[in-house]
Parts: sequence; structure tokens; C-alpha cells
Amino acid sequence: MGENTIILRPEKLEVRGLVKRYGGGRRRPGTLAVDGVDITVRAGELVCIVGASGCGKSTLLNVVGGLEDATEGAAAIDGERVVGPGPDRGMVFQGYSLFPWRTVRENVAFGLEETRMPKADRGARVEALLEVMGLTAWADRLPKELSGGMRQRVAIARALAPEPDVLLLDEPFGALDTQTKRVMQDHLLDVWRRTGATILMVTHDVEEAVYLSSRIYVLTSHPGRVGAEVPVPFPDDRTPEIKRTDRFHAIRDEIQALLTGEVVME
Amino acid sequence: MIPRRTVFVRSDDRPGGVTPLEPVAEGAAHPAHTLDWRNSLAGRNAPTRGTRRHPLFRIRDELSAPWRVGLMIVGMLAPLALWLFMSTSSSTSLLVPSPAQTWEGARTLWHEGVLTGDVWASGRRILIGYAISMAIAVALGLLMGSFRSAESFFEAPIAFMRYIPATALVPLMLFWLGIDETPKIALIVIGSVFFNVLMVADVARNVPRELINAAYTLGAGRLRVLRRVILPHSVPGIIDVARINLAAAWAILVVAELLAADQGLAFRITRAQRFRQIDEMFALLIIFGIIGIVTDLSLRWLRNQSAPWARP
Repeated sequence: MGENTIILRPEKLEVRGLVKRYGGGRRRPGTLAVDGVDITVRAGELVCIVGASGCGKSTLLNVVGGLEDATEGAAAIDGERVVGPGPDRGMVFQGYSLFPWRTVRENVAFGLEETRMPKADRGARVEALLEVMGLTAWADRLPKELSGGMRQRVAIARALAPEPDVLLLDEPFGALDTQTKRVMQDHLLDVWRRTGATILMVTHDVEEAVYLSSRIYVLTSHPGRVGAEVPVPFPDDRTPEIKRTDRFHAIRDEIQALLTGEVVME
Repeated sequence: MIPRRTVFVRSDDRPGGVTPLEPVAEGAAHPAHTLDWRNSLAGRNAPTRGTRRHPLFRIRDELSAPWRVGLMIVGMLAPLALWLFMSTSSSTSLLVPSPAQTWEGARTLWHEGVLTGDVWASGRRILIGYAISMAIAVALGLLMGSFRSAESFFEAPIAFMRYIPATALVPLMLFWLGIDETPKIALIVIGSVFFNVLMVADVARNVPRELINAAYTLGAGRLRVLRRVILPHSVPGIIDVARINLAAAWAILVVAELLAADQGLAFRITRAQRFRQIDEMFALLIIFGIIGIVTDLSLRWLRNQSAPWARP
């Protein structure tokens, strides 16, 4: 797919002039976590936000998810302002946050139980998702019986079940070991290509961001601002081989340098 | 011993590559140098690093079954021994019936045909009163643990009521509600409900924020979040709260029965006192203890059954 096509896609998710201030009252200014961030994700794009800790990455995602209010500015989906959470924006959290009393199947079914979908259709959708995620054999287990990688797959399946417009991933692979992480990254790419989902993902792993994204926003810290917007020129159907190309290394090093400069300044 | 598996090492003749080591069969003889090395460590005067205490004195360590069971048995027998000693020794001025006399006392109560009636009378009051108390506690507690507004509104009055000793309300309740069942049940409710509410609220507050957020992003509204996330997550905690505060309910029931009742375990104790039947008093105290242990174990069982996911 050429880069021209990408530009023609409609803007799915927009964040404009986002400011988030924590605490603070009439006298105290509080902490400025995010200071005027603009972000655009087009339909079907997979965009990553990278930044060191304290750049307000999670805050940004929570505002898009409707879980936190912006101090100033706003997030919008298809031009509609986000004022609260909803099933149109599926979220996956770093801590998986599976419902521990529900089996894998029941976890995935949670969102569908909130819809008017007939029970038989719900069951079929859940089974299909379990299949895609390779979870069928574990469908009747409780989350505590699963490994970290498995749990994260359940979390992704659960978020995908209500067919959200946008998938928001908050450091989804942050707690996984390196090997599992690689497998999960390829799995995510696969799911993204198959579903054509629009994905906004937050990570602190630069290599992960370059490998997965169509575009990357680099956030600077204290307060969080967009330091750079980096296009990633690899095709959608990429393979791990790209990680060995000079182009990949060049992009990775460029972003790394931006972030390292940050750390030294602190 | 760490079981040996296939180990990969960098080999000199294949720079940059890895070669598997020959796997060693399980149980194969160790080479002589390994044995020498081990023997040199095991010598009497060989220096050591670190200390290892006896399992009895280790913090949070597993204890072998014989030790555990043995300690439990000693823990049960020790008070019995003390009791036996006190009932036989003449050095104490306290009049203590022997276990045998106590058993006779229990038999007397049984033959009089009052025991089952007393247990039922007391048990019924607890059952009704505590059920009302827990129903209020679950409703109000979940609300307070979920909504800051409910917490702000209810916290102060409940904290105030909690500090009024329920026993101090006994005369008032008898004055208002007479001397039949109503004041006793009301006292059980008042004596336990405020503790229960605050503790259930705490349980609800401990539902991880992320689970609630996850439910929201999956399309659940606030009431659905309450019913399908906060409630199920709180079930084991609520049963624990019920278990812990049940003792307080019994305490207040006893005070109520001492003052006005014609049936019930505590009433029977005052009657035994009037007739100087210490053996019967002891028998009744032990019945209290047995009822307590049985309900405690049942509630623990119920907790584990209702929430297998929360079991360690």
C-alpha cells in the first residue's frame, strides 16, 4: 500500500490542544502532566506514542478512553467529542485487568453481554475470537491459571469483542518477557491486518514502536509535549526481518536519541 | 540437585554459533571431582555462609504436617489441662467444676428439655438480627465504597453511632420496644450494623480501579459495574466481614438476654447463677464456644465455595 493512500484515509481519532493538570487549587498550580498535545490517527492506522515515564502517555490514553477529563482541549472520535468511556473505544491495560472470577470465555464475553446481540451470536463471536487468539484450549480456565502472555491475549480478545472503532493499548506488553513480547507483537500485527482496526498504542519500548507502527509520536516529559512525529516507511505486512535493516536502525536510533536527550536534561 | 538438561554453550570451533552439550542422563554417577568438592563442603569445620533457623521460628515458612498437627493438639489440650488443674487444686479459692461435672451439667440441661429451646431461641435472634444487619451493610457499604458522595454523606453519622456502645442502648431499647423479641433483634442490628457497613465499604473500595475502568470501556453502565464488577469482586470479602463481626452480635445478644428473656443461652446462664449451678454455667459457656467455631468454619467454607478464584 503506498503512502498516498494513507493520506486519503479519514481522520478517526483526534486529540487537539490537550492539557492535563493534576491537583492544584486556587493557590497551588498543581502538576502539569500534559501540555498542549495534538495527535491524529487515521482509520486503519496503527500509531504508537513513545516517551519516558512522566510524559503523560497513560493520561493521554485515558482521556481518549473517556476515563479521565482533560483540563483543556479534547479528544474526538469521528469528529465527536469524548466525554466518557464507551464500547466504541476498546482499551487494554498494562496490568491486563481481567475479571478474576470469570473464565477466559466469560471475560471475552463481558462486553457482548452489554449489547443487545442475541445469545447465540454472542457465543459464536466469542468462540471466533478465542480461535483467532489461540485461546480455545484455555477457554474454561480462570485468569490466575494463565501466564502473562496468555492473559494479555485474553485482554486483547475482550477489548476486540464489541468491535470497537478504536483500540487503545496502554503498554500492553510491558510486563512480558522478551520472547513472549516478540510473539505478542507479531500477533498484534496479524490481528490488526485481519481486522483493519484503528489502534493507538502507548509504549516506552522504541524498537517495539518502530516495528509495529505506521507512525510514531515521540513525547517529551515534564510536561508531556509532542517532541516529534516520525513516519515509519515499512509496509503493513512487515516481518521481523525488517528489524535488521539499516532503515529500521536509523529510525530507532533517531527516536532513542530524542528520548535520551530528555533523560540527561532531568 | 538441579536436574541436568541440555545446555547451550558458545563453542570455540564455531565462532558465534551455539553447540548443545551432551545431555547427562538422570541419576548418572557424578564425576569424582564433583564428589570431592561436595565432601570438602560438608566437613565439620568447613566455613558456612548464612544461617537457617528451625522451621518453628521462621517467619512465614511452611511447617511439616507432624509439627503443625502436633502444635494444634497441644493448643487444644493445654487449656483443658489448665481447667483440670484448676478444678482439682485446692490452692485456688475459685470454685471450678471439673470437666466431668460440666458434662453432667450439660446432661441435666438436656434432660430438663430446655437446651434445644435455648439454642434455638438465641440462634433465631442472631439469625434474624444479623441477616438484617448484613443486608443493610451490603447495600450501604457497596454504595459508600463506590460513590464518594455516599461516603461523604454517611461516614460521619455512622462513625458517631459506631462509638456509642450498643450495650448502652439496652435500657433504651427495652423502654421503647418492650421485652419480647423485637428489642433483642434491634439490639443485634444496632450492635453490628455500623461495623459491618464500614468494613463492607472498605471491601468495595478495594476493588481495583482498573477492573472498573475495563468494564466501562466494554460498555457497562454504572449500575452494571456495581452489579457485575464491584459486587462479585466483593463477595469473599463480605463473607469475611460477616464472619468477623458475628462475635459482636453474640456479645450484644447476651447482654439483652441477661436483662430480659425467658429463654435463650444467656438467660439460662443467669438462671444457673441464681441456683448456684456452676456446672451448668460452664456447660453453657462451652456451648457458646462450639456454636462460634461451627459458624466460623461454615462461613470460611462458604467463602471458599463462593469464590474459588480468590483462593490462594
